[in-house]
Amino acid sequence: MDKKELFSQPISNVNFDPTFEAEVIAHEEAKDLKACFNCGACTAGCPIHEVFPEYDPKKLAKMVRLGMRKEVLSSPYIWYCATCHNCEQRCPQNVKFFNVLNVLKNMAAKEGYAPSVWVDQIKHVIKTGIIFPPQESWIKRREKLSLPPLRLEEREEIKKIIELEEIDRLSKDKSE
Amino acid sequence: MSEYALFLGCTTPTKAVQYELASRWVCRHLEINLVDIKDFFCCGINHVNLDRETALLMAAANLAYAEAKGLDILTLCAACTGALSEAIEKLENFQIRERVNEKLHRIGIEYKGKVRVKHLSRVLYEDIGVERLRRSIKRDLSQLKVAPHYGCHYLKPKTALRGVDEPDNPTTLHALISAIGATPVEYETLNLCCGGKVFPVSGELAHSLIQKKLDNLKEKEVDAMVLQCQTCYLMYGEEQKEIEGKSGKKYNLPVIFYPQLLGVALGADPIKDLGFNFHTISVDGLLSKVR
Repeated sequence: MDKKELFSQPISNVNFDPTFEAEVIAHEEAKDLKACFNCGACTAGCPIHEVFPEYDPKKLAKMVRLGMRKEVLSSPYIWYCATCHNCEQRCPQNVKFFNVLNVLKNMAAKEGYAPSVWVDQIKHVIKTGIIFPPQESWIKRREKLSLPPLRLEEREEIKKIIELEEIDRLSKDKSE
Repeated sequence: MSEYALFLGCTTPTKAVQYELASRWVCRHLEINLVDIKDFFCCGINHVNLDRETALLMAAANLAYAEAKGLDILTLCAACTGALSEAIEKLENFQIRERVNEKLHRIGIEYKGKVRVKHLSRVLYEDIGVERLRRSIKRDLSQLKVAPHYGCHYLKPKTALRGVDEPDNPTTLHALISAIGATPVEYETLNLCCGGKVFPVSGELAHSLIQKKLDNLKEKEVDAMVLQCQTCYLMYGEEQKEIEGKSGKKYNLPVIFYPQLLGVALGADPIKDLGFNFHTISVDGLLSKVR
C-alpha cells in the first residue's frame, strides 16, 4: 500500500488554516467534535487502524482542530473508514466520528478528491436505480428462478433528488 | 399473518440471489407476507461519502414509498437496515423532516414519519420467536457447529437500531441458530467488521480484515459461517479464494445465510428453495451432516 509521508513528517504550522475547524463544526453532524478531548478510544477500537496504523481517527480529529485543511481533505486515508461505527460506540464524549468523517469526505469531494468508485456508483444509481451497471446474466438468472424482474431503468424521480452538481468534478481519478 | 414491504437493496438481487430465494421461502413458510414495491431503489448508504443530503433524500424517498402502501419495511441487507434506520432517526426531527419533504414534493411524495424498518433476522427473533422456530424444525442440525456473524450495520449505530441487540455482546443470531438445533461457537473476532464498505476503495484493507476472521475460525474448526448480510457474504464467501491464493493458506470455510440454515431445518429443498448451488465454496460437507 502507498504509505504517503503526509502523517509521518513534521509540518510547519504557518500554512494551517485557522478557519478550518469552524468550517467543519458548522455542519450539524460534526458539531460534536468540539467535545473531543483526544483520548484515542476511537483509534483503539478501529479495525482499520489495527491493520493499517496510518489510518488514525484520533489523529484526523486533531488535524481538523489544528486547521490542517489541505492535509486532511487531500488525504487518501479519510476514505479508508470501514463504516463499522465502533468509534462512536467507544467515544466517552459521544462524538460521532463517523459523521464527522462524512462531513470531511463531502468537503473533499467538492474539491475533487473523491475516489472514482463512489462517483461511478452514484452515476449507476441515476441510470439503473442501483449502484451497479446492469448485467444480462442477472436478468436471466432471476427469470429462471421466477424472481420478480429488477426495474433497472433511468427514472426522473431519482435524478431529481440527487443533489450533486457537476458529478464529474468530484473525482480527479480516472473513472471505470 | 404479518406483512412487510420487502426491501432488496442493490446487491442481494444481483450478486447473492440465494439469500433472496431462501428469505422468500422462509417467509412463505412462516406466513410472513412480503410485498414487492416497484418504486424502491438504492437506500443511499454509500452516497454519504459524496453528499449526506442526497443519501438522506434517497432513504427518505424509499421510506415514503413504503408509507404510501401502509407498510413497514423488511430488509435483508445489514447496510440498508442501518441506512434506513438512521434516516428514520434523523427524520424524527421536525425541521429536518420539513426540509426533506420540501424536496420530496418535487417528485410528488412525502414522508410523514410512520414507517419502521426491521431486518429479516429481527422479524424472525421478535415476531416469530425462537420458541415457534424450535417447534417448526423438521431436520436434525445437531451435528453442525457454526460461527455467527452479525454485520456492523445490523447492530450500529445503536441509537438508530433501537434495541435490536447489544453491539458489543450480541446474542440474537446465536439464539436463532440454537433454536433450530445447530451450535453457535464463541470466537474472539465475533465483532470484527467484514470490510465490505472499504473494499471498493481498498481491496487490500478489506482482505486484511477478512483474513483475521478466517484465521480465527480455522482454529475453531467450524462447519460454516452463518451470516445475515450479502455484503458480509461477498467478503467472506467470494473473496475467500482470492485470500487463499495470496496467503497460501487453505480455509475452505462454507459461508451461508441464516435463512438458508433455517430453510434446511424447516425441510426446504437445498437447491430449488435455498440456492445452495450458487455458493463457490462447497456446502456438501455441511449438508451431509444434516439428518
